[in-house]
Amino acid sequence: MNLCRKPNLAHFAVTIIGKDRTGIVADTSEVLYKLGCNVEDSSCTMLGGEFAMILIVSHEKPFSKKKLEEEFAAKTTGTGLSAFVRTLKDDEVCYQGPEGELCLISVYGSDKPGIVYRVTRELADRGVSITDLNTKLIGKPTEPVYVLVLEAALPQGLSVEDASALLENLKKELSVEISVRLITPVSL
Amino acid sequence: MAVKPIVVYPDPILKQVCAPVQAIDDEIKELIEDLVDTMHAGPGSVGVAAPQIGVSRRVCVIDVSKNRHGKDNNHGLLLMINPEILAKSGGAVMREGCMSVPDYTGDVERATELTLRFTEPDGNVREFEASGFEAVAIQHEMDHLDGFLFLDRIASLKTGLFRRKSYK
Repeated sequence: MNLCRKPNLAHFAVTIIGKDRTGIVADTSEVLYKLGCNVEDSSCTMLGGEFAMILIVSHEKPFSKKKLEEEFAAKTTGTGLSAFVRTLKDDEVCYQGPEGELCLISVYGSDKPGIVYRVTRELADRGVSITDLNTKLIGKPTEPVYVLVLEAALPQGLSVEDASALLENLKKELSVEISVRLITPVSL
Repeated sequence: MAVKPIVVYPDPILKQVCAPVQAIDDEIKELIEDLVDTMHAGPGSVGVAAPQIGVSRRVCVIDVSKNRHGKDNNHGLLLMINPEILAKSGGAVMREGCMSVPDYTGDVERATELTLRFTEPDGNVREFEASGFEAVAIQHEMDHLDGFLFLDRIASLKTGLFRRKSYK
């Protein structure tokens, strides 16, 4: 996707989170629809018992962040939902797709502190850009298993084999399984 | 012989590459009987591999004939020693469960046609073609012999891993 700012549009990042219940998306999209906002990009999911929404919305100028905040406040008061709105600058709207190879890294093992930190720090230090990351705790309560799956763009010059070798030491250090797979789409 | 307890991840035996069987002795025959008994005792189970009962050998048993996905296309009970995939083709995503990763299932893409070679308990080397759900089950069990779980095969945690609803 290549999303580039049109000069007549104002863009905002909206974050909404609250105890899950039926109708959160409908309530949120109703506010946006009635204000004339367009949802350009979004990611909404369950996190534990919370429902979390992150949206990039646009509206023709002139349009103020305050208007969005007021409407969300009116809709969410007393519902347990919290809403946060941030104005996006020009350079935050144009999406620059990753240039290097895309890979999928999966990590799983006995739950322990530091799995996300150690893996992502190792990747960040080598210029690997994470584009998507999800974690889940599975297994038995007596023996929980932590699963981390992330998509990342490798910088020029770093191959999937290099990324795999980079994480090799963490396997032993954290006692986890780590696999790196290439997922760069191919044109057919 | 006996229904054995199922080894659950993170038991390290599930991540080992299993040793090939050199000779089909009484120990191996007993192992196969245990695998069959354990499979039949497992809720909805269509296969068990030796490491799942704590034995790191290249042996697994499969029977999809009682499963709704496999009842019309199967080779019955397969007792497989040192199985090898000679060729594979096709591809489909199925939601798989595993007794060694309880309570969760995952969407995994696997080949839908296999050419397979394995040794039977009487020493006969058998080659045949499997397809559909039976092919998927064979690949799942053979993954266990190489230390792979379906967790190694899912492409997305958000869209590929699910809390198990039932074993049926």
